[in-house]
Amino acid sequence: MMLITCPHCGPRAQAEFTYERTVDSVVQPGTDPAGAMERLFTRANPRGLDDEIWRHTFGCRAWLVMTRHRVTHAIEAIRAVGPEALP
Amino acid sequence: MSGPQRAGEPGTIRFTFDGKPLLARRGDTLAAALLANGIGLVARSFKYHRPRGIMAAGVEEPNALVTVGTGGRSEPNTRATDLFVYEGMVARSQNRWPNLSFDVGSILGLAAKALPAGFYYKTFFGSAKRWMFYEWFIRRAAGLGDAPNAADPDRFAQRAGFCDVLVVGAGPAGLAAALAAAEAGERVTLVEQDRVLAPSLVRDPQELDPAWAEATAAQISALGGQILLRTTAAGYWDDNLITLSQRLAEPGQQPPNGAAQRLWHVRAKRVVLATGALERPLAFAHNDRPGVMLSQAVRTYVRRFGVVPGQRVIIATNNDDAYLTAAAMRDAGAEVVAVLDTRPAPAGATSGFTVHNEAMPLATTGARHHLREVSARVGGKIVRWQADLLAMSGGFTPVVHLHMQAGGAALDWDDASQSFLPGAARQNVTSIGAAAAADPIGPTPPPENSGKAFIDFQNDVSLGDVDLAWAEGYRSVEHLKRYTTLAMATDQGKTSNMAALGRLAEKQGVAIPDAGLTTFRPPYTPVTMGLLAGRSERDAGAHLRRLALYDVHQAKAPTWQPLGYWKRPRAYPAGTETLAQAALREARSVRTAVGMTDVSTLAKFEVSGPDAAALLELICATTVAKLAVGRGRYTFMLREDGLVFDDGTVWRLGEDRYLLTSSTGGADRMATHISYVRQFLYPQLKVSAVNVQEHYAGIAVAGPHAKTVLAALIGEEVPRHMSTVPAAIGGVPVLVLAASYSGERAFEIYVEASKAEPVWSACEAEVTAHGGCLYGMEAMEFLRIEKGHLVVGGEIDGRLTPHDLALGGMLNKAGGYVGAEGLTRPALTQTGRKQLVGLEALDGTIPEGSMLITAPGQPAQGHVTAAGLRVLDGGSIALGQLNDGFARHGELLIASSPTRGLIARVRVVAPHFYDTGGERYRD
Amino acid sequence: MTDIAITQLPAAPLNVLEIWSNPLAVLDRFEKAFGPSLPPLGSSLQLPGRLLIRYEPAVWLVEGETIGLAEILGSDGSLTAIGGGLVRVRLSGAGWRSLLMEGGVFDAESKAFAPGCSAATVIDHVNVRLLVESDDACLAYVPLSYARGMIHFWTIAAKSLD
Repeated sequence: MMLITCPHCGPRAQAEFTYERTVDSVVQPGTDPAGAMERLFTRANPRGLDDEIWRHTFGCRAWLVMTRHRVTHAIEAIRAVGPEALP
Repeated sequence: MSGPQRAGEPGTIRFTFDGKPLLARRGDTLAAALLANGIGLVARSFKYHRPRGIMAAGVEEPNALVTVGTGGRSEPNTRATDLFVYEGMVARSQNRWPNLSFDVGSILGLAAKALPAGFYYKTFFGSAKRWMFYEWFIRRAAGLGDAPNAADPDRFAQRAGFCDVLVVGAGPAGLAAALAAAEAGERVTLVEQDRVLAPSLVRDPQELDPAWAEATAAQISALGGQILLRTTAAGYWDDNLITLSQRLAEPGQQPPNGAAQRLWHVRAKRVVLATGALERPLAFAHNDRPGVMLSQAVRTYVRRFGVVPGQRVIIATNNDDAYLTAAAMRDAGAEVVAVLDTRPAPAGATSGFTVHNEAMPLATTGARHHLREVSARVGGKIVRWQADLLAMSGGFTPVVHLHMQAGGAALDWDDASQSFLPGAARQNVTSIGAAAAADPIGPTPPPENSGKAFIDFQNDVSLGDVDLAWAEGYRSVEHLKRYTTLAMATDQGKTSNMAALGRLAEKQGVAIPDAGLTTFRPPYTPVTMGLLAGRSERDAGAHLRRLALYDVHQAKAPTWQPLGYWKRPRAYPAGTETLAQAALREARSVRTAVGMTDVSTLAKFEVSGPDAAALLELICATTVAKLAVGRGRYTFMLREDGLVFDDGTVWRLGEDRYLLTSSTGGADRMATHISYVRQFLYPQLKVSAVNVQEHYAGIAVAGPHAKTVLAALIGEEVPRHMSTVPAAIGGVPVLVLAASYSGERAFEIYVEASKAEPVWSACEAEVTAHGGCLYGMEAMEFLRIEKGHLVVGGEIDGRLTPHDLALGGMLNKAGGYVGAEGLTRPALTQTGRKQLVGLEALDGTIPEGSMLITAPGQPAQGHVTAAGLRVLDGGSIALGQLNDGFARHGELLIASSPTRGLIARVRVVAPHFYDTGGERYRD
Repeated sequence: MTDIAITQLPAAPLNVLEIWSNPLAVLDRFEKAFGPSLPPLGSSLQLPGRLLIRYEPAVWLVEGETIGLAEILGSDGSLTAIGGGLVRVRLSGAGWRSLLMEGGVFDAESKAFAPGCSAATVIDHVNVRLLVESDDACLAYVPLSYARGMIHFWTIAAKSLD
């Protein structure tokens, strides 16, 4: 079980988080239909670092983007996403 | 020749072994107690049923596996060396019939040549018939203990732990490391698998006074450190997470506080492994008899337990440590017949023992509980001695399991000790003490007869089997392991790996480190299934989700229906009614008078803010912004791929405030979806979307008298269909939504869950007064099928578009909702897609979940999603999905469920069987 | 046996306070009205008649009085009642920290988790929000549907803490 450093809460057990999807699968608003389906159904799926979307579902509920090595589980970077919030 | 015995008091703790009453002293392991009672034969080996005794004094024991405890508490395959005797303990030997001394299976030993390495593979790759024949026989002949059939009566706790430093092993090195960390102000946890601190100091008090361990532990505790005895670090996982298995009671023992074991998840900033080293056996013919033991184990039984495992002992060694055993045995009054040292000259002080250099045991013969004779090659000649015990030492293997489990870790080969030592590791872990360094050893001559020279005692693998595997072409260590079953089962090769690896390297003609290693997998020692399951063992791991009105329903003894983690009333049978009778009565009450039901589990979201409608028009595929305040409408939601995944209703409560309801089963998924759209895709929206699923309890009142009932309850004009008003019932504020899922005029009353009871009671009184009753999910299902309302998980199964469900006309023409792009995919508008239809039976009853076919033997063209009946008139009806179903109304099909042998002829119709014009909603 | 008491408290008015825009301006208005700042994540603020606990980046749980808050939020946020869906359970006695480690993944034994601190975590698979009331008591906000199950879990676990 990984230890994930939530940008809001600090280091917490993986059990508090849910993996949601990879960043390359996000269909940004305004994407044309063909582009949207390309994003939805085609993945880079690298053996190595990838940008993943996680959520601190059982903690602060915030969404995170995590750059994680998919072989070693090493987390290279993690950042919060969402509306502007007070510190 | 007398075998093992103990001087002085036999002890006061009563236990039985194979039914025989015996006595143990406090602190005895079962192994110690058995030896103290003169019992050397304790087990039959896995494959050949060879008589086996106690080889070790710790968790590495390969032979002495027993079943301990009775009923659901019984635990098979427990090491007698890792089991402390308690009053009333019941232990049994395994893998023998009818008993240990006379075991029919041991005939296999005589036929050992018929069961060589790879036996299973060879048989398996033979004809299937042969395998079928052998399997019955193998499953009974080879094996370990039996898993209990009864449920375990005890609890298994799970706990989190956090520390700066986790020290594994409370030997001298571990205690010193833990004390140093505690003195530096660090948060320390020290774990020890044994019941006592520093058991090696009891064995070898010349190194340090055992009292030092107690004093050090007291200091650690005083500094706030945590010391857990009888606790094994079983697994090392990502980010310095270590799982510990803690025994709160001995195996098979009734635990004092209900919890038998505790699984710890400890997150440590730093881990110190003071896991010590395990002694290796020597390989020679018949080295597996009762009476052949590891040297340090012999010393442990003498010094720690006061048990002398033999009176005439031969010591066989390739290192200095075994001389301490010779001294311990002599001090205990036993005769040290000879020390056989493989080395050309003794390395240390020999203290007057008869030492033979360049000597190696050849073979043993034995009696039931001890040895008779040991033969050895000394220099060029063979010598024999009468001896009842052989203490062997083939050197030491540092325990590097956790180091290797830590991942990204390396091992360094140390030639002098012929052992792997922990190298670099990616995680923050260090090894110390005997786990990090081993003493040099001399040569280990190969046995002259390798067929009976066992290296893996637990799996009956001899050096001869390794040679055979090699001869048959198995080259890599991984293949060797799987082919011979070497290093499998409960000991995972703790005492056998190095001998096998040495032999393989020799065959490969490479150095041992180049021969490769098998993976070190958790757990280090076996853990019971109950420990891993925790409390989940009883209820599949999930708490029941209770309705706010759970007790109110329970008082009426309903038939409960599990729905995800929830339980909802399925029906309220009266008297001797069956479920079907009760459900039909309840449904008819709704059609003819009035009924009420609990709809609290529906997903509910309160959405507020200037962008509330904008967010809802992303989530919902229908228009929302055009709703007037106080009005609501049906809606449905699409995934990004354009397929419908949920439906519900949306209500405008105020200028900038909406309530969205959706399905119970999809509630968590919908919460995540809304959060993703709001937080990730559209963080700029000025909106708050709050999950109020549990804030509101919901009561639906439906039927021709529903208006009258509601008017009486709220004392004012009831809202029109698809309108909402705030009101009060008995002084409690409620929100009334005029919505129907039954086909009748109906209202949903939402009330803050903590205040739901008086509102429910008031409703029930009024409903009863109007000739109505409570209804459950079964009646609700009848009603909604007849009316053609959809259910998520049934008709809405995540594979249909709004068009397939005849909802296309409701789509927001302006687009912009999630899934709009996906919906443009050409495949979603091609012919041949499944479409929603109604089905009515021409004969019989339409089977739930049946497939729709044109003729027997033809492929399925669709399936029944929900089967019900006409509530008032009877007659079997159903909803279904059918290829091009919209164009096939009137067609005759067969609804077939071949697995149940059920069949009905059906006609395809529109999916509405009741009040198709919606007259009953009009005021 | 470790000293611990598990008490279900009566329902209290609970509201979600969410800020969706101009958080600094809201903060400013809040400070002008009440004095102290809105509490940061992982902590709480006790004011007369009301308690504000921050569990999420943009969300505070308000227990008690909400008068004046809507005005402070203006068009930058809103209040939503959620009190029916949460049960308050007080764990009191010296053993509450150990009890929270049972079935948990959060370090409730850390000295940093001091009175006034808050945390949202998962205990025995249930999402629970914690508020340290004092060295001898911690409040847990438990989803209504799981409350009875969690109280049962804690009652049983408390028997074998040592």
